[in-house]
Formats: sequence, structure tokens, C-alpha cells
Amino acid sequence: MFGPLIARRALLGTALAAPFIRPSFAQGSDPYVIGTLFPMSGPNAEYGKLFTDGVQLAIDHMRAENLLRRPVRVQSEDSQALPQQAVIGMTKLINVDRASWVLTGFTSVSKAVAPVADRARTITVNGGAVGPDLERLSPYFWNVIPLAHLETRAIFPFLIRRDLKRVALIYVDDPFGDAILQLMQREFPAAGGTVAGVFSIPRAQQNFGAVAARVRQARPDAVYIASFGAQQPQIIKGLRDNGVRQPLISYSGINIGSVLSLPEAEGLIFTSQKFDFSAGDALTRRFAADFRARHGADPAIYNTNYYNGTRLFALLAAELERENKPVNGDTLRETLLRIREFDLVGGKASFDEHGSMTAAIQINEIRGGRMTPIAG
Amino acid sequence: MIAYLMNLATIVAIFGILAATLNFIIGFAGIFSVAHAVFFGLGAYAGAQVALLLVPDALLACLVGAAIAGGLSLCLALPALRVRGEYFVAASLGLQMMAATLFAEVKPLTGGIGGLVGIPRPTLLGVQIGVLPVAVAALALILFLTARLQRGAFGRTLQSIRDAESAAEALGKNVAAAKTLAVAFACAGAGIAGALFALHLSFVNVESFTMDQSVLVMAMVIIGGTGTLWGPIIGAVILLSLPAGLAFLPFIPATEVGAVQQIIYGLAMTLLMIFRPAGLVGDLSKGRSTA
Amino acid sequence: MLLLQLLLQGLQTGALYALTAAGFALIFGATRIFHFAHGTAFTLAGYVFLFGFTGGLPWWAAALCGIAVATLFGIAMERLVYRPIQRHEGSFFTVFVAAFGVAVVVQNLIGMLAGRGFASVDTELSRASEVLPEVFLAPVFWIAIGVAVALFAALSAFLTRHPAGVALRALAQNPDLIRTYGLSSNRLSVLAFALGSALAAPAAILTAMTSGLNEAIGHHAMLISIAATIVGGVGSLRGAALAGLMLGVAESLALAVVDTQWAEGVSFFVLFAFIIFRPSGIFGVVQTR
Repeated sequence: MFGPLIARRALLGTALAAPFIRPSFAQGSDPYVIGTLFPMSGPNAEYGKLFTDGVQLAIDHMRAENLLRRPVRVQSEDSQALPQQAVIGMTKLINVDRASWVLTGFTSVSKAVAPVADRARTITVNGGAVGPDLERLSPYFWNVIPLAHLETRAIFPFLIRRDLKRVALIYVDDPFGDAILQLMQREFPAAGGTVAGVFSIPRAQQNFGAVAARVRQARPDAVYIASFGAQQPQIIKGLRDNGVRQPLISYSGINIGSVLSLPEAEGLIFTSQKFDFSAGDALTRRFAADFRARHGADPAIYNTNYYNGTRLFALLAAELERENKPVNGDTLRETLLRIREFDLVGGKASFDEHGSMTAAIQINEIRGGRMTPIAG
Repeated sequence: MIAYLMNLATIVAIFGILAATLNFIIGFAGIFSVAHAVFFGLGAYAGAQVALLLVPDALLACLVGAAIAGGLSLCLALPALRVRGEYFVAASLGLQMMAATLFAEVKPLTGGIGGLVGIPRPTLLGVQIGVLPVAVAALALILFLTARLQRGAFGRTLQSIRDAESAAEALGKNVAAAKTLAVAFACAGAGIAGALFALHLSFVNVESFTMDQSVLVMAMVIIGGTGTLWGPIIGAVILLSLPAGLAFLPFIPATEVGAVQQIIYGLAMTLLMIFRPAGLVGDLSKGRSTA
Repeated sequence: MLLLQLLLQGLQTGALYALTAAGFALIFGATRIFHFAHGTAFTLAGYVFLFGFTGGLPWWAAALCGIAVATLFGIAMERLVYRPIQRHEGSFFTVFVAAFGVAVVVQNLIGMLAGRGFASVDTELSRASEVLPEVFLAPVFWIAIGVAVALFAALSAFLTRHPAGVALRALAQNPDLIRTYGLSSNRLSVLAFALGSALAAPAAILTAMTSGLNEAIGHHAMLISIAATIVGGVGSLRGAALAGLMLGVAESLALAVVDTQWAEGVSFFVLFAFIIFRPSGIFGVVQTR
């Protein structure tokens, strides 16, 4: 399907605007540019909004705190969650906007832009995608989200404990889905479970009646859904409407408004990194309070991740400013590897040598339209 | 900045090749293909695989891309020989959708949605070069060939087919051969553009070769002016730069930039078709345009 | 039992495809306009119904609003876009580009106004129960079949009995004939757009209840309509409807053998093969063009 892809021309076009822009060199009072490469249109635009809200709040907080000497500017590029647009947007962020820091998401997008980031030595941070192979893409590509192998592995023992040993997998036909498929087939049997059937679906699939019929025939104890974006509520509704009564299992990507508000999603079990907005440190409390005041709702995990992704830049750049060092990909990386542990929303976060954040995983259930932690 | 401008010029040159070759079959032979991105894709995958498996030689990648796209152009020539008008559009639509499925699913060759990553930078005879000079040279060559073919006997045959197919046949023109050749030429050109695109982005995946891309190239041709030499190039420049100015309008909220761009873009497409249906260049050179 | 289940599901999808495709075929047959924005009428109808229904309107009022908006959209396209283009003899390709532009505009407007991503109407009607062992059917299955049968009966009565309907059919076969007899083909063309677009609305409303809407859903509706019209034979409403039904069933049954991502490719392979080997479609008359 080509519906969601229409804006390619828009992005190719964006690339042409270069002559109108003054090249900016990172000096004096020139702002630091934080580039965002999120889907702002198309079927995954819901994520783009979640991501941007987190970035925006982090920027406002760091301005209020006067954390950095130089001002900060956000430059937004629309990736549509599609690799090609992302590569073009990334090239613009690096060459035109001279971004010091790029935030991105989505497995296929991350894999496509990582080589560009690597060549330009521009730190690129993912806070949304969880494909396991995002771990070692480039020294300049970091993750502020625990990747799927951490999440998916964490749910295996839980499934066995609940006696949900036969699991059918519905996975989207792209690098993320493939990664979950491989993980499931390799490690679930070792954990004592059986993969009762695997069903791949294209990204633009709308109608899941027929898939539901095949899932029923596989007679699983539970159904694991590995998809993202607008497709997830459709899968859930399609399964429930067509007689699949088994528990539904998923990962943190399912934690979006259109799923939570879906009556059929009641009881869905999913993994996420561990958060406690109510207790905790001052940073977390301020984040949760300001977010609620601004958006009238509890922050979602993605809001938090991208807040953290932006906050991490502020902390590293502030450290470099203190030492009167230039802020660039190499110095940022050195500083990250030197400090390793940072105060971020949700408590102390530590990074491994690949620049991936490690975090504890919790298991949640959707109860009454809200994410409710049920096991740690 | 220089690197950035070269990046832009390369993209314009590549889309210029696509638009010029599509214009060749639309404007001169009346074959309204909505499947141009398929041949763009074939060339890109071929070029990418040559660069990944053999040598990243730009010339070799282009030749292989052109050969594969030109060879498989028979898929497009076949319906072009049997049907015209809306039927042919529908056939090319079918071809486009099938090809997109194949591109997404034949993962050993295309990498699926994940695409082929890490395509090495191009060389020419062992020396590393940019894609831009090759792309500009290819564009110039294709424009030159188009102009020659258009004026020569082959061009006249094609135009007579476009205007009245049965009359051309009655006059003893070999309609089948002329159409097949025209399609092969255009598709081989698209294949070259594809190979260059793969080398330029160092990344290709199916999303660049969907129907949407075909429609974009088609719109470049129509808006610029079908059947003119420079119209498609001007169309390519306009369509690539039109949304660019919009990206810098400050009053559009960041979350709506993409949507606003597309709305204005779509509106421009529709309004141009209503008020200047002959295309921008077509109006200037009266009597040449067919739209 | 899997096959029976898939067959029934295919019939439900196919009934909706048939309605949408018949609308496209009606417009194309009567006006020779390749109405690429047909899917947009579908999207608009679905969203208007969704907003009406969630906004508290009774279902029938929301449905009427959806149908009305789709109809008005069809008429507006005819008057404001296609007629000015055809006045200066625009090629059909010009028409195609213009319609595509409209589709892009509406899709993004909907995305901005209605929010992007999935939206559906929550109703008990789409919840399936076990009617036979291992076979699940939702009430919406019977509604889809019923609505399709009723609308096709009404449409064929209109096309054979009512003078305007007869004129529409005549227009499909020979526009000059109508002009000779003094019927305004302009007004008939508006009628074709109104009727054809209205036909897309019930399918959109039922889709809003079952698999849900998103702002880009119109493209799928439009592609299926084009495929069904060609496979069924241009100019034949019956052909388009039957082909739509077949495409729905084939898409569903294919899943017993292959994974979902091949379904679309298979549909378009059928289309391609038909054009090469039987361009006149199932019911069409061979046309020399």
C-alpha cells in the first residue's frame, strides 16, 4: 500500500531548501541544534507526537534551569517511520542544520540512519525502537530504551509461570518483527515454552479476521503481538472480534493511547521498563507533575524516554561546557563512557559500553484503560 | 554546505532521469505507465548488489541496472502492445503492486523492508568518485538521446502511434517493435537512475519503489509538460522544491509540518491540472504538448 | 473448518468491495472519468459516520450524514475538478493527477482534524459468536450481505426502470446517443458521481465498525475498485460487483496457503493477467480503443 508513503516527495523537497539556509557553525551563542527524526505524518504519527511532547518538556526544563550556556533549538524532520525519508531527513539535519544530537525511533529507521550518523560522527539516540540488533549499530548510535531482547526475555518466565506455554506469534513483516520472530523461535523453547504458530502481517494490513481464524486453529494458550503504531489496536480488535479469547501479550510499543482506550485491549499483558512516577526523586516528580499540567494525562513511557534522551544531551553538554571542551560526537561519547550513570526520569540510568541504557523490566496489564504494573 | 548542495543536485539529477525517461514513453508514445518506480527499483537493487558483491564501480552498476531494467521492461511492453488508455494504466498499476510485494518479500535479493544497507561508496575505474558527475552525465546523455530520437524517424513513428495507432499500422509502421523499443529505452534509463540512487544513498529499500514514487515521477512529467524536452526536468525541480519553502514557514506547528506540506502539495497538483493542464512548459511551446 | 471460516470472512469483505467497486464502475462507465479520488469518498463517509456516532447521533442519522457527505464530495469533484479539466479536453492522465492531488489533500486534512491512526466505532455488531463448531460469525456479516443485496436490487431496478437510470446505462455505451436525444449528459454525469460516491458510503460505515479506519484507508478502497472494475469488465456494474466479491473471497481464501503479505500481490496478479489475456473482463464487451 502506498497511502502512508505520500510524503516522500515532501522530504526530498525539504532537502532542496538548503540554499535558503545560512550554514551555522557551532560557536559562541549559536544554538545547539537537537534534531528530531520522528514520524510526524502517516500511520505512525501518534508516536511522533508522544516523542515530541517528551523532547519539548525536556527543553523547557533545561531552559528554566539554565543548564547550558548556549541556547538550544529543536529542528524537526518527518521520518514517517520509513527508512528512506529518514535517511534524507538525517542528511539534512547533519549537513544543513549541523545538529549536535539527533533523536530517532523505529527499528528500520534506526538501522538506515545509523551509517549516516556513523560517517558524520553525530550522536543519534533512539528512545522508541527495540529491535535487538540496534545495540551495536555504531559507536555514535545510542539507545535510551531497553531493547526487545531484554523485554521479550523478561516475559518468558512469566508466561511459563502462568501456564501459558503455547504461544502464537503475530509479527509485522519488517526488521523489528523479524527480530522478535528469531528471538521467540530461538529462546522460548529453551525457556520451556512452545511456539504454536507464527503469522506474519504486512505493515499496511487492516483486516485481521482471516489471521484470527488461523490463530484459532493453532490453539495457542496466548498470543504475542509484535507490531507497532496504528496497526496494534486493529490487530487486538480483529482478534477479539473473531473469537480469539486467549490472553494477549505484547511489548512496550503497545502502550499508546489508541490501544489503552480500546475496550478489547482490557487484560492485555505487556512488558516495559520500570517506572514509578508517584514516588522517586525530584526530577521524576517534576516531570510527571509538569507533564500532567500540560497535557492533562499521565506521561507514557515514550514521553519519558525522549525526555531522557534530550536530558542526556543537556547533562553531557553541560559537563563539556564546564570543562571548556567543544561539544561534538566524540567528546559527547567520551563523556558518556566516563560518567556512565545519570540522573534521569525514573531514577539512575546506566549505560553500557555500546551506549545502550540498561533498565529493569516490569510486566503490566491494561486494566480499566490504564497501564497497571502486575509483576516486576 | 558544499556536500549538502551536491547531495541535492544529485537527487534532482536522478529524478530528472526518471522524469525524462517516463516522459519519453508518455509524451512521445502515449504509454501512460504508473509503474516507472518498478524499473527504478530493479536498477537500484541490481546496482546495489553489484556494489555489494563485486565492485562498487559506478559505470558497471549503471550498466547492470540498465540491462536488468531494460530486459524486464517486457513486463510493461506486453500490456502496452495489447491495450491502451485506462486499461494500460490499470495493467501498469497491477505490475506496480505485484513488484512492490516481490520487492518486500524476496528478502535474499532485496532485504525486504529492512533493505540493503551499507552499500559502499562508488568508484570509477578504481578511483572513488561522487555520484553527482555520473548522474549529470547520464541525464545529459538521456536528454540528448531523447532529442535525437524525437526528431528522427523512430520519434515520428512513435508520435504517429500515439496520435493514431491503427493509422500508423496501416502505413506499414512496425508498431509492436517501436513500442517495445521505446519501453525498453525508458526502462533502461530508469534502471540507470536506480543504480545511481542506490550508490548515492548507500541504502535502498522497497519504500522507494512503491506506487507513490511512480505517481510522483508521473506528476513531474505532467506538471512540467508532457512531450517537451525540458518540461519533465522543470517539473522535477519544482516538485522537489515546492514543499521545501513550506518547511520554513514558522506559523506551522512542528507536528503538522508534514501534513501541511502534503496538503499544499496536493492542492498545487490539482490546481495546476485545472488551470494549466498542458503543464508549465507545454504552454510556452504551443502545439508540442499533448496533455 | 478453516476454509469455511475464511470463505465466510471473504464473503463479508467481498460484499463491501463489491459495493465500493460498483460505485467506481458506475462513474467510470457513465463518464469515462478514472475517478482516482473514489477512495476519498469512502474515507470521508467513514469518518463522518464515526464522528456522528461517537458524537451522540443515532446510528441511522450518522449513517445518513456519512452517505450525504460522500455524495456531496462526488458532486463537488465532478463540478469543480473534472468538468473544468474536461472543458479544455484534458487527457485522462491529467484527470488522474488532479484526482490524486485531491486524495492527498483530504487524507492529510483528515489526519490533522480527526487525528492520525486507527479509529473505529465500538459496537456489539462486530463481535463474533460461534455459529458452527470453529466457525465464528458476527452480526455485521449478515448486515454486510443484506445491505449489499438490497442496494444492488435497488440499483438494478433504478437502472432498468427509471428513465435517468436507463439514460445512465445508455451513456455508458454511447455518449453521443444521449446528446442526440436531447438529455443533458452534464446532469447525468453529476447523477453518476452522486450515486457512485453514495455507494461507497455503506461499505465505509461497515468498515468503521469492523476493521476500523485510518486516514489512508481510501487508497486501498480505490485500488480494489479499479481492479474489480477492470476484471469485471468496464461498463458492467454486475461484473465489477462480482469481481469485487471474488477479490474479497480470493484474498481471504489465499490465507489458508500463504502469509498475509502476499494477498495484495495475488489480487493484482489476477488484474494483470486479466488485462493481458482477457482485457474485456468477465462481462465486458471487447472494446477497440
